[in-house]
Amino acid sequence: MTSSATATPNKSRNLALVVGGTVIVLATYLYLVISQPTELQTSSTAPAGLIAMAGYLVGAVLIAAGSIHRLSTTTIAMIPVAIALNIVVGQLVAVIGLPVYLDSMGTVLVAALAGPAAGVVTGILTNVIWGLTLSPIVLPFAVVQVVIGMMAGYAARGGLFRKPWLPPIAGALTGVVAAMISAPISAFIFGGATGGGTGALVGMFQAMGQSLLGATTMQGLLSDPLDKLISFTVVYLVLSALPARFKQRFPFVRQYQVFGKAPAAKA
Amino acid sequence: MIRLDDVGYTYPDAPAPALQHVSLEVPPGSITGVVGASGAGKTTLAKVIAGFIPQVEGGELTGSATVDGRNLAELSLVEAVSKVGLVIQNPFNQISGARYTVRGEIAFGLENLGTPRAEMAAGVDEVAALLRITDLLDRSPYALSGGQMQLVAIASMLVLRTPVLVMDEPTSQLDPAGTRLVFSVLDTLEEAGVTVVIFEHKLELLQAHADRLLVLADRTIALAGTPTEVLADERLSGWGIGATRYTRAARLARERGLIGAEVPLPVSFDQAAAVFGTGAGGAR
Amino acid sequence: MSSTLYVERPSAVHRLNPVTKLVALLCVIVVVFAIPQWWASGAVLLLVIVPAAVISGCGGALARIGGQILLPLLVVLVLVQGLTFPGGQTVLWRWGPLALTTEGLMFAATIGARIVVLVLSSVLLVLTTHPGDLMSALTEAGMSPRFAYIISSTLQLIPSFRARADSILLAQQARGLAVPRNPVRRLGVLMPLLAPLVLGMFTDVEERSTAMEARGFGSTAKRTTLTPVRDSRAQKVARWVMPAVALLAVVLQVGWGLL
Repeated sequence: MTSSATATPNKSRNLALVVGGTVIVLATYLYLVISQPTELQTSSTAPAGLIAMAGYLVGAVLIAAGSIHRLSTTTIAMIPVAIALNIVVGQLVAVIGLPVYLDSMGTVLVAALAGPAAGVVTGILTNVIWGLTLSPIVLPFAVVQVVIGMMAGYAARGGLFRKPWLPPIAGALTGVVAAMISAPISAFIFGGATGGGTGALVGMFQAMGQSLLGATTMQGLLSDPLDKLISFTVVYLVLSALPARFKQRFPFVRQYQVFGKAPAAKA
Repeated sequence: MIRLDDVGYTYPDAPAPALQHVSLEVPPGSITGVVGASGAGKTTLAKVIAGFIPQVEGGELTGSATVDGRNLAELSLVEAVSKVGLVIQNPFNQISGARYTVRGEIAFGLENLGTPRAEMAAGVDEVAALLRITDLLDRSPYALSGGQMQLVAIASMLVLRTPVLVMDEPTSQLDPAGTRLVFSVLDTLEEAGVTVVIFEHKLELLQAHADRLLVLADRTIALAGTPTEVLADERLSGWGIGATRYTRAARLARERGLIGAEVPLPVSFDQAAAVFGTGAGGAR
Repeated sequence: MSSTLYVERPSAVHRLNPVTKLVALLCVIVVVFAIPQWWASGAVLLLVIVPAAVISGCGGALARIGGQILLPLLVVLVLVQGLTFPGGQTVLWRWGPLALTTEGLMFAATIGARIVVLVLSSVLLVLTTHPGDLMSALTEAGMSPRFAYIISSTLQLIPSFRARADSILLAQQARGLAVPRNPVRRLGVLMPLLAPLVLGMFTDVEERSTAMEARGFGSTAKRTTLTPVRDSRAQKVARWVMPAVALLAVVLQVGWGLL
C-alpha cells in the first residue's frame, strides 16, 4: 500500500506509543483498584478522580497517536462513516428505547475490516465528536472505546469472526473488559450517576454493602457484556450478508483471513 | 500528452482482464471523449490514465502508459496525481469535508502538497474566477447544488495545475442544469490549455464539445476519430452506446421512407437541419 | 452545515487561539479534580467560567445546554449518593436500606460541583470555537492532520447520515412497521435500518478515498494552511502559566495530604 512506505521509519516509535499508552491505562486501572481510594477524603494523598482522568486520557491519546499512522487512505476514508454510524445508531437506539447503547458498532465494523489500529482511532474519535456535538460527559470514557476498538481488531485477527458462534463470545469478553475499565470513571468522576437506570443500579449495589467502585463495576458488568455481545453479533451478521469481494478488498481481511479462506474467484 | 501502447490490465484475483490491447493517443490541449457501455472498462481506463492503477488497486498492468513523457508505472501515486487530476461521478464523495468553506475545500489539495500560503490564496482565486464560482467561495461546500459541487471538485483539481484532467462520468448524477454547467466549463478548460479526457454517455454534448471521440467496447478501444466520424458509425448501437437523438430521428424517418437510404445519417443539429431541410436552418 | 454547538459571536473569547482555550479547559479540570472540596469548583465556576461566558455572549446558550445535560445527572447523583453512600455515618433520615447521610450529601455536592465545572467549561469551549479553527490550531500545534481530517469530515457527514437514517426509518414506518414493545423485537426493527447504511458506507468509501488521493492526501510534504491561526505573545505566555498554576494546585494538595 502507498502509506506503508512512509510509515516504516516511525514504526518503532508508533509501537512504543501504543505499548506505553496501554501500560499507562492498565497501571491506572490497577492502581485505582488496588489502592481502593474508598471515597473522597480530604486526607487522600492522590485524588482518585484526577488519576482516573489523567491516566486514562494520556493512555488513550498515546495509543491513538501510535495508531493513526498505520492506516491507509481507504481506512481513513471509512472512519468518518463508521463514527457517524456509532453516533446516529447510538441516538436512534436511545430514541427507540432499547436498554443497551449499541454505540460502538461502527468501531467493531472498522476493527473487523481494517484491524486494531483502525478500531482504536474510530473509538477515540467517536467520543471526541460525541463530546463536540452532543454532550461532553462521554469524553472521560474515550479510553473505553479505545479498548473496544483494540479488542475487536485483535478478535478479528485471531479468527473470531470466522464462525457464527465466536463473535458473541468475543463481544461478551470485550464487554467485561470495557465494564472494568470504565468503572473507575463512573465512580470517581461521576459518582456513579451516569444515567437514570445505571444510577439506580449503582445505588442498589451500594445499599447492598458494595463500595462505590464495586458498585459501578457490577453495574457495568450487568450492561456492557450484553451490549457488546449484541454489537459484535450484529456486525458479524451485517458483514456476512455482504458479498465476499467487498470484504476481500481490505488488506487486513486478506492477510489474517478474518472471514476464513477467501473463496476462489468465480468467472 | 497521453499515450497508451497495447495496455492490458487485470484486477487482483479477477479471472479475466478488464482491459486488453488498449492503444490510444491524446494530443495536448485537446478534449477527448470516451464512450462505452457500462462494464466496458471506462472507470478502469480512467484510473489507469490517472495513475491509480496499478498504484492503488494492485493487479497486473501490461504494455506502456505514458503521460507527459513519463511512464505511469514508474511514478508514485503522489507524482502521478501531480500530472493527472481525476474528477469522479458522485460530487458529494469528492468534497473532502476537511474544510468548512468552498475556499478551504479548493485549497485542501494545495495544503496537502505544502504550497506557500500566498501562492495558495492566489491560486484559489484564479481558479474560482476561471470557473465563475467566485461568489460560492465563502459558502459551505455541502450547501451547493450537485452541479456546483462538481464545479468545486473540478476547481479542486485545476488548482493543483495538473496538465491533464480525467473526468469519469462527471454528469451521471446531475440534473440537466448541472450537466449543462459542467459541460459549459469544458470550453473554458480548452482555452486554458488543459488536456481533458471525459468519459460520458451524453453523445449530443460530446459531439458539441469534444475534439476527438474514442469508443471503448469489449475491453479495448474499438474505434477512434472525430465526433462526426465516430457517431456516424453503424456499429455504435451494437456496442450498447446508442446514437444521438439526430441519428435516431433520421433512422425513424428512413424507416418510414421520408428520407432515402442514400442520405448519410446526421449526428449534429446542423447536419440534421440539412437532412430534414426545410425551415430549421436559421434556428441556431 | 456542521453539527457542533458552535455559536458565532464577535467576542474576545471567540477570537482566542483554540489551543489557548483547550489548555485553559484542561487546567480548570485538573484544578477542580485535584482539590476535593466543593468550594474549589464553586470558585472556578464564579471566577473563570461565568465571566468567560458573559464576555463570549453565549451565556444563554451555555445555561440552556448545560442545564439539559446536568440536571438529570445531578438529580441522580444526589438521590443515589445521598441515600446509599457507603461511607455515610451521620444519618439524617432512614427508610429500610436507604439512609440519607450528611457524608453522602457532601460527597454528592463535591462530585456534582466538579461535574458542573467539567460540563460547563467543555460546552463553553465548543460554543465559542469553530471546529475548523480548532482542528487547524491543533494541527499547527503538532497533531496529525489525519485526525483533523477525520473529525472535520465526520462533523459534516453526520447531518446527511442522520437524514438518511431518518428517511429509512420513515420508509419502514410507511410500510406499516410499528415499534414493538418487546426489546428483542425492537432490535429486529433496527436491523433493516442498519444494512442499507452499512452498504452505502462501503460503496462511498472507495470513491471518497480515490478523491482524497487525487488531491495529495497521501503526500509526505510538510503541510501548509490557507488561513493562519490567530495567536499573540500574551496567549503564548498564558499557555505556560496556566499549566504551572494547575500543577501547583496538584502539588499543594498532595503535599497537604502527606503532612
